[in-house]
Amino acid sequence: MNISKNWLASYIDLDGLDPAEMADMLTFAGVEVEAMHERGVNTDLVVVAQVVQKTPVEGSDHLNVCLVDAGEGSLRQIVCGAQNYKVGDKVPCALPGAVLPGGWQIKEGKMMGHASCGMLCAASELGLPDKEHGLWILPQEYEVGTPVRQFTRTDTLFELEITPNRPDLLSHWGMARELAGITGRSLKADPGDILPPTQAAGDSIRLSSPEICPLYTATRISGVKIAPSPTWLAERLIAIGLHPINNVVDITNYCLFELGHPLHAFDASRVQGALHIRCAHPTEHFTSLMDENYVLQESDLVISDASDRVLALAGVMGGKDSGVTEQTTDILLESAWFLPSSVRQTSRRLGLGSDSSYRFERGAAAWNVLRAAGRAVQLILECAGGKAEPTAVAGQAPCTVPERQAAQATVLEQGSGAKVFCALPQVQLDWKELDVMTNGAIPHMEAARILRNLGLKEAVPGGWDCPPWRLDLKRSCDLLEEVVRVYGIGNIPSTRTAIYVPETPQDRAHDFRCELSRHLAGAGFWEVQTFKLIAEQSADPLIASVQYALPMKPLQEGDTIRVALPLSEDHAVLRPSLAPGLLAVAARNLNQGMEVLHFFECGRVFRNTGGGKGKDIEVEVLGILMAGKLSPTCWDSLKPRAVEPQHLVAVLESLLPKHTVSITPAKLARDAAALSADILVNGQACGFMARVALSACRALDLPQNCYYAELDLRKLQQLATAPFKVKDLALYPASGRDATLELPASVRHADVLKAVESAKQKLLESCRLKEVYSDPTGEKLAADRKAVTYSFLYRKPSATLTAAEVDAAHGELLKALAAKLPEVRYR
Amino acid sequence: MKEQIARVQAEALEQIAAAGCIKELENARVAILGKKGSLTQVQQGMKDVPKEDKPAVGALLNAARSAISAALETRMQELQKQADAAAVAGVDMTLPGGSLPAGGLHPISIVREEAVRILRRMGFTLADGPEIEDEWHCFDALNTPPDHPARNEKDTFYFDSGKLLRTQTSTVQARVMERQAPPVRIICPGSAFRRDAIDATHLSAFNQIEGLYVDHEVSVGDLKGTLEYFLKALFGDDTAVRFRPHFFPFTEPSFEIDVLLQATGQEPRWIEIAGCGMVNPAVFENIDRETGKSLYAGCTGFAFGIGLERLAMIRWGIRDIRLLIENDVRFLAQFQ
Repeated sequence: MNISKNWLASYIDLDGLDPAEMADMLTFAGVEVEAMHERGVNTDLVVVAQVVQKTPVEGSDHLNVCLVDAGEGSLRQIVCGAQNYKVGDKVPCALPGAVLPGGWQIKEGKMMGHASCGMLCAASELGLPDKEHGLWILPQEYEVGTPVRQFTRTDTLFELEITPNRPDLLSHWGMARELAGITGRSLKADPGDILPPTQAAGDSIRLSSPEICPLYTATRISGVKIAPSPTWLAERLIAIGLHPINNVVDITNYCLFELGHPLHAFDASRVQGALHIRCAHPTEHFTSLMDENYVLQESDLVISDASDRVLALAGVMGGKDSGVTEQTTDILLESAWFLPSSVRQTSRRLGLGSDSSYRFERGAAAWNVLRAAGRAVQLILECAGGKAEPTAVAGQAPCTVPERQAAQATVLEQGSGAKVFCALPQVQLDWKELDVMTNGAIPHMEAARILRNLGLKEAVPGGWDCPPWRLDLKRSCDLLEEVVRVYGIGNIPSTRTAIYVPETPQDRAHDFRCELSRHLAGAGFWEVQTFKLIAEQSADPLIASVQYALPMKPLQEGDTIRVALPLSEDHAVLRPSLAPGLLAVAARNLNQGMEVLHFFECGRVFRNTGGGKGKDIEVEVLGILMAGKLSPTCWDSLKPRAVEPQHLVAVLESLLPKHTVSITPAKLARDAAALSADILVNGQACGFMARVALSACRALDLPQNCYYAELDLRKLQQLATAPFKVKDLALYPASGRDATLELPASVRHADVLKAVESAKQKLLESCRLKEVYSDPTGEKLAADRKAVTYSFLYRKPSATLTAAEVDAAHGELLKALAAKLPEVRYR
Repeated sequence: MKEQIARVQAEALEQIAAAGCIKELENARVAILGKKGSLTQVQQGMKDVPKEDKPAVGALLNAARSAISAALETRMQELQKQADAAAVAGVDMTLPGGSLPAGGLHPISIVREEAVRILRRMGFTLADGPEIEDEWHCFDALNTPPDHPARNEKDTFYFDSGKLLRTQTSTVQARVMERQAPPVRIICPGSAFRRDAIDATHLSAFNQIEGLYVDHEVSVGDLKGTLEYFLKALFGDDTAVRFRPHFFPFTEPSFEIDVLLQATGQEPRWIEIAGCGMVNPAVFENIDRETGKSLYAGCTGFAFGIGLERLAMIRWGIRDIRLLIENDVRFLAQFQ
């Protein structure tokens, strides 16, 4: 909301207060100053000047070289781009050295080769509301050379953010009252104090939805003369960024920004019979005064009449055909109270908001209904003439007091004929609560003074009547907030308390994750953070073919979770895997010329356990992507190796040094993964690993060697942080034997290991792959065969093995392998 | 014999001096002291020396042997020194470094970890909760009015199931209080989601740290002391911190916290960094009503929330929030 300092000053004494100080006061009242604009000229270097000569600049379609008389005795040459002036016009001229609002300094310069010694100004360039498009054409009676500041006023405009609990601050009077309350500065006369004479509305107003509109008033004013607003009124509206329209409409707007209560003026000749405040008929149409069409629902409240036409959308906007025009002579002035949730719903659904709906949906005070009507009637009679009837009142103010309090509540009475009653909510406040909240830092007397300054009254001991404009004060904590806010949290001493708290599983998970991340960063991986909402088509995450895809079940149709209203299809489903994000990161960095594409991410993945019908589950996982080169090309390493699957396996093994990581190829093949496998740790499923489909690599412009692994962080943590005991060092030496097996190329390392294991050779301590040899040319070895060399280590815990014992054991093992592996030949 | 010894010694010393490298010296040693070496051969002549001459010849022989050994040793040292010098002469220590693969942590992880470390030092423990939440934990429990704008499907991601992506990590407040009796002293780093179009200052998914302390007689002073300590630990001891009254449905009184920060070449500015407040009693009532126990009656507490992206942006002068999700290594490498 915009607040003009000059306007505000008509309600509160702001003498000697500079704008920065005032911004601070507002800030500490809980009202954030989002911006501050200086308006008007505060230098003598902007003067009235008369255009004496105007010559178009050759080669420019808009610039003119002007000679102007700025009252200096000689003429001044200025190049000007505006179009709306002629020779003889008087305009503001900023002389070199002048600093205009916004810190804009005027200097002598050249434009397209012509000297320009100053600037002819538009009103907006002087921080004043723009009066016309282009230069500000001044009245001829101003003398040339007169400083413009002599006939303009300076002002400061504050752009404020009012929190939703304080609708009472959405007006100049409201803001003045607040400032007076918190600073003790004195408040001037309340402009809302002039209540109109009232009468019961009788048949002239029909309330069909009293739960949405319990109170409606209308004042008929006959014989008004619609005309432009007086200057003072127009200037105030212009100052806060509004455009004056005509006196009656401007006064309704003015009252809104003065007292905070929205009003609406109907052309009385357009209203047939009684006003009828009712819910809209289903699919009823409404044309707003902006000439937009809307289809209404039964939940929308409208103002209608005997003809059943919609005259206005209650609290939101007037209708096209019922508003005040130049021809209007009689008006009906509406001042009413509408249910906030109803106005909000209508305004939001139709995408139609206004200064009026903004206030009603935050909560307008029913107490303001007659005040605003009275103020508007006063101003209309003053500015537009006419004769007002007593204000017709239908219904009653909504009750703001809990039922059990109603009998004792203080009640304010408004109106002369028909009365409006506003009961004041009473809040019980025990000073003990204040003492607990503030450690006794605020004296009770001081707290009571603060509450009284804000308009509260201690009606009974400990029972505080809240002022009728403060709809947000309902409970003791609301009052405590007021006390703390005004007293200033800065004045409450800081204390530090700490209690012993046990470490939680989340603490341990966090520590593990940090450690893991540092390990991977140290191993040459970049940690990334990718988007949790991804495109549906990228969600098919390599993982469906894997037996133990995370969380340990293949992804089925419908398992991905889609948001109902995505911002775009690129961010439509919750990621079921980190793979799509990491692949996108790799592609992005490859484009930047990165050749080592090693990334990881720790984060949540999401899926439904039953094709959209089961539970939504979230699992913390670690995703690792390796693609491209193993290390960067460098002067000492001109041809770094390409990443191969064993490099990723080595990384996985480095995460779990005490455990056996085995990779079990998956049975089913699927598009997204050229090759995929489950990762078992000590035989327990822990995640999956995949070679990204070559087609996917091509589509993303990624290198063909793109490997990905995803691990369940919780399982990883359990394994990696499991307690352990040290093993005794072996007392007797081990003996090694190598064996080279020639095998069909299709036999995998895992098959050999399985065969070795099933041979159950007791003396065998370990078996390590030493070399893999193949010859694609088929010259030294058939192309469909490979030669693999393993080192076998034999040991007996209790004695040194003899060579004969080792040979015997090794022979047995090779025999067993020959029986278990297909077409094996020893070399 | 004596002349023979003198001649062999003289020849040997000449040989040693002439050795130009360690290998030649080794050859010389063998030629002099080896099995068939010149001195060894002379020594074998001892058996023919008359008994009375033996002591004198023996002494001469020993002297020759010592002189030769000393010369060998000296020459060996000289040659080794030359060889060592030659061995390192060609090494250029000024060559650029080789190629270790580089890696590093994401800036959000770095600030998260730092904030968590400070808060844990202050006696907070970690807690978490689901990101797919229900309306009760996200809004109802936290005293958000039924028609609050945040509940709108244009501002919040909903699912067909009626659940939603949590709009704030404050959901964890409700989750923890539901299952735990006071005192509660937790922090929760985590993701939150809002249906904002992504631009230089907005992400639809972002990271926060939520904090909650509930006990009997927790005061505004505690809130202030805790957050002042936390922010000073984060931004430096001489950082000024101020609390500005604000409004959140789940706290009352509520504050926004600014820190006074100075960018190079600029005037210090107050920068909004976090929101906080005393837990609204309505939140305690909601929890107690839901659990059917009255664990939180008479409790007071404070809560705070801080955006990690904002923290990172302020700390490192990051101008576009999207850098934090683009994961461009040219950006990430700056945090190594």
